[in-house]
Amino acid sequence: MALIELRDVTKTYRRDAIEIPVLERVSISVGEGDFLGLMGPSGSGKSTLLNLLAGIDRPSRGSIRIGDTEISSLSERALASWRARHIGFIFQLYNLIPVLTAFENVELPLLLTHLSKKQRRDHVMTALNIVGLGDREKHYPRQLSGGQEQRVAIARAIVTDPTLLLADEPTGDLDAKSGGEVLTLLQRLNQEFKKTIVMVTHDPHAAERATHTLHLEKGTLVEQDGARA
Amino acid sequence: MRFVGLVLKSARRNKRRTALTVLSVAIAVFLFASLRAVLDGFNGAAEASSSTRIVTIRSTSLIFSMPTSHAEGIKSVPGIRDITWASWFGGIYKDPSNFFAQIAVEPESYLRMYPEIVLPPDERRAFLEDRTGAIVGSGLAKKYGWKTGDRVVLRVGIPLYGKQDFTFTIRGVYTSSTNAVDNQTMFFNWKYLDERSIVKSQAGWFVSEIANPDQATQVALAIDQKFANTPNETKTDTERQFQSSFASMFGNLNLLLGSIALAVVITTLFVAGNTMAMSVRERTTEIAVMRTLGFPPSTIFGLIAGEGVVMSIAGGVLGVVLARVLVTGDNLGAGGFIPAFGVSNTNVAVGLALSAFIGVVAGLIPATMASRLKIVDALRRVA
Repeated sequence: MALIELRDVTKTYRRDAIEIPVLERVSISVGEGDFLGLMGPSGSGKSTLLNLLAGIDRPSRGSIRIGDTEISSLSERALASWRARHIGFIFQLYNLIPVLTAFENVELPLLLTHLSKKQRRDHVMTALNIVGLGDREKHYPRQLSGGQEQRVAIARAIVTDPTLLLADEPTGDLDAKSGGEVLTLLQRLNQEFKKTIVMVTHDPHAAERATHTLHLEKGTLVEQDGARA
Repeated sequence: MRFVGLVLKSARRNKRRTALTVLSVAIAVFLFASLRAVLDGFNGAAEASSSTRIVTIRSTSLIFSMPTSHAEGIKSVPGIRDITWASWFGGIYKDPSNFFAQIAVEPESYLRMYPEIVLPPDERRAFLEDRTGAIVGSGLAKKYGWKTGDRVVLRVGIPLYGKQDFTFTIRGVYTSSTNAVDNQTMFFNWKYLDERSIVKSQAGWFVSEIANPDQATQVALAIDQKFANTPNETKTDTERQFQSSFASMFGNLNLLLGSIALAVVITTLFVAGNTMAMSVRERTTEIAVMRTLGFPPSTIFGLIAGEGVVMSIAGGVLGVVLARVLVTGDNLGAGGFIPAFGVSNTNVAVGLALSAFIGVVAGLIPATMASRLKIVDALRRVA
């Protein structure tokens, strides 16, 4: 069963009076438990597609259904609430809050839930243990390596047990070893915890870890491997 | 409550900037509370004034004196029960910066008409019997370490009183039972002043006791009419009006002090607002990340505005504590012009409310900016 259904999604940006097309009539379908690699050169629209899936951007035309929800028609507030429950987002530059410890960074999405302090603590420690950083809960981001920061960011993304994990070039700022560890972790989340993952990358080695790949060029799908279009 | 930790951590992000913002609000609140204390002091004295006392001065100005023979004329006006007079001395104790009020009074009648001046009977007797004796307020005595029997030498400040120094013996230390009389004044025998004066038998003002407070206006008018078209025309007011006119010698104090307080608060608002806006600009990506995690615009607004309020209230608390400790009658040196001086509980509450107001208003624009941030644009700015 498809978890993500995109139908004829078009996205254009307006700069002054000029309309710049970024995505044109993209239709894809991603099944529950899939690990999709989105590939393509810079400016091909892959990050825009990821942003649309995350509900932090809106399509100009077309529909995006994730699970039972047509997210393109949700209000700003409803979309924020939906993101909190269903999306875990992993950024290329980790984007941890520098004044918060690893524990507090991971706890951040849980502040929006009704969980008690103790329940939040249990969830955070579970997430940190999954990424192998249970002993670094009191460390600030500046006290961690790049790879560790990204793993804390992954813990933050999975702590609410979201429906969908979205990763935007998660290894783009890491050395090969740390990048490999992060990809292994994502693979484990997909295989062991059955998480559906969409990962944007232009590293073919990273894309090899995905179960399916899609290639975008100039805003349109040009090639696919295993994904249902 | 779960966001309080987040607000506090964010406020501590740039400690120096936060400290400076807190300090600027503290100074604004301190100044505000201090200026209000001055106004309250003047108003408090006027409000505590006796309704049965009226004061007569020269119609031209308080600084010009009148012959003491006016006393008989005033006393003959129907409705007057008692009368006394006094003169401003303006002497210098060691250094001009040691300013305090020194008033030459007709001792017996003055103490009779001012029961607020509380003196032990033996000290009262000693003062009445000594031509060069003086009584000082408890606050003044404490300030200069004076006690009964001490000799105090004052240099002449107004040439009308000759050139020779005045030496007084302190015969008593009074306390004040109301705000109408302060505890920072020296009273001494008018006869001692008169014998050294170049122009004899002069009084600065007369204080009359009236039988019926409801007739104060008519009695005052009758006194002034009695001296109309004489070389020493008078102006008679109730004691409350007299207190107010004393304050108005400095100009429109309400407007002046109010304007200063307003200017300080508005300046602080801009300072705090600018700091908050800078802080939000620096955290654009973080805010975008929080929005991506699902924080709704209203929560982001609350977090940023809350940060402003926390910093501002911290400044407010510091400001009112400083004001409470530093703004006291002993530290002011108002020399008796403001009998009851200090930061009241109301002023503390108003100061804290003001700091909260500064925080809310200063945080309004940055918080709106943050809550309306377009996530994708904000993330793209850094990525």
